[in-house]
Amino acid sequence: MSASGSLRFSGNTLLLIAAAPILLFLLLPSLIIVPMALSKSQMIQFPPEWISLHSFADYLGDQQWVESTLLSFKVSIVAVFIAAVTGGTAAIALLGRNFAGKGLLVGLIMMPIVTPVVILALGDYLLFAQLHLVGSWITIAIAHGVLATPYVFISAQTSLTSNLNPALVRSARSLGAQPSSVLYHVYWPAIRPGVLAGSMLGFAVSFDEVVLALFLQGANSVTLPVRTFTAIQFELTPKIAASASLFIALALVALALQALAARKTGQLS
Amino acid sequence: MWKSYGQGAYVVRDVSFALRRGEFLTLLGPSGSGKTTTLMMVAGFEKPTRGEILVDGHDVASRPPERRNFGVVFQGYALFPQKNVLENVEFGLRMKGVPSAARRRRALDMLDKVGLAGFAARKPRELSGGQQQRVALARALVFEPDALLLDEPLSALDRKLRESLQNEIKDLQKRFGISILFVTHDQDEAMMMSDRVAVMAEGRITQIGSPSDVYLHPATPFVASFLGETNLVPGAYRGTDEGYAVVEFKDAARGRARLPADGRTLTAGEAVVVSVRPERMRLLIQQAERKFAGVVSDCTFMGRHTRYRIQALGQPLTVSVTEWSPASAPCAGAPVWVGWEAEDAQILSGPDGSLATP
Repeated sequence: MSASGSLRFSGNTLLLIAAAPILLFLLLPSLIIVPMALSKSQMIQFPPEWISLHSFADYLGDQQWVESTLLSFKVSIVAVFIAAVTGGTAAIALLGRNFAGKGLLVGLIMMPIVTPVVILALGDYLLFAQLHLVGSWITIAIAHGVLATPYVFISAQTSLTSNLNPALVRSARSLGAQPSSVLYHVYWPAIRPGVLAGSMLGFAVSFDEVVLALFLQGANSVTLPVRTFTAIQFELTPKIAASASLFIALALVALALQALAARKTGQLS
Repeated sequence: MWKSYGQGAYVVRDVSFALRRGEFLTLLGPSGSGKTTTLMMVAGFEKPTRGEILVDGHDVASRPPERRNFGVVFQGYALFPQKNVLENVEFGLRMKGVPSAARRRRALDMLDKVGLAGFAARKPRELSGGQQQRVALARALVFEPDALLLDEPLSALDRKLRESLQNEIKDLQKRFGISILFVTHDQDEAMMMSDRVAVMAEGRITQIGSPSDVYLHPATPFVASFLGETNLVPGAYRGTDEGYAVVEFKDAARGRARLPADGRTLTAGEAVVVSVRPERMRLLIQQAERKFAGVVSDCTFMGRHTRYRIQALGQPLTVSVTEWSPASAPCAGAPVWVGWEAEDAQILSGPDGSLATP
């Protein structure tokens, strides 16, 4: 008993010793950006000189940066809406059904996760160029919607299979419920936590996506990540660090909300 | 009704029955006998490959379930977990467009009738199994359906609870005068609750009749053995006597039995199988007319009765005896005489009496 206990202890310690440097290596670059944003200097640098909030003030005072930030929110919200509707309805449609080509269909929905984003971006660019839609923010939102759909689909599917009692569908129909009522009264309560959790994840994916947004950008549709990326090449201002801090904050919030939604999913079942 | 899932194999074959007004009819059969499929076709969740479902003369077979007027109670009850008791009961009325004040009044009234007046605001998970069943029944009854369809609602429950819930369903059925189509694989449940039982096997109704009729006068070896224990004694048909068949068993012993329940006529010399329930067997310690000599091979005291294994007519027979005092009764090795009243023995249909043939 005690032997196995100490064995487990030493195993855990070894794991910690191995994992800690890796974790530090992965997290450090992200965390360094926060003190850099708090720098007093006009240039982005590390270690920062003095503590100051002027980079945040600069960032919020710059019309272009603010516009990009608002645009990013707009794009991500529309993208998440597209992903929620597509992923959620796909999960409902595929539930408990077996047909030839189902695996292929699921593969198609999951494709954006495995396809190299550059390929996706190039394809989207060529398609939307044909349609004369490149340069519009809605185009970026659509492309991001495709990218976020698999995340919603997966978590909606998990939520459905663990929460939905198939007898409820029959029960509702026998009580006179039309398909739309079944959707609202039976499917929606069961799928809601999954769609919410997936949407958080989808929002995070869309909000800091840079490749698609770069390919599909126009004069009036420069998202925050694209603005940050371009800025690095020309002006190394602390605004970059300020916007990066915003990304980290948003990612943390999304992660927390997603964890919360996932816990609710577990509670329901 | 006929039902096939393709490949030509029918899971329900030529099933036809009428549910009378206010009747409790049970479809009884082992799993895979087509009983649930039949119920689901009536409810509208399965489409019959062929056949019709008439309600007051109107064919509803082509209507989706939401446009039929049946109350369905599922195994596990399938109550809406997010809705409270009142919202669950109201649901059917809401879907049928009844205004909210009226449906609230009718739902509360129904909850009162099933004895759940104070539970309107509870969630289903806060109720006991029995209370959940009452909510499910109230939900299915509140919109005044043409009939109630129950799909093995009790089979997941333990014996004690099951018995009290059986009584509750039966009670409710009598009070509301509702027609019920009930599906179960439990023969005791079917016996206890039904006005009529339809025994199903391999997609067909093998026999339909009152519980006592089906139990005492089974049509086939399958029905006889599915509805409890029975003794199957093979013999040869030798003519009739006072309306009963005379059957010759091994060693030229002759006994009497009821003619086949399906009205089939027998020819002299034809091989038949006679079914006699253990509790309908008579056991004597001395010779009498139409009794067969045997030897007790084993006896077990069961409380309400004593179970005898007897070697007679060239085969082991099971006899259940209630009147003998266990202290003075003969046991292993004792010579006895067994027999039965002609009314209690039934000639079965089926070519060789094999149990596999329904």
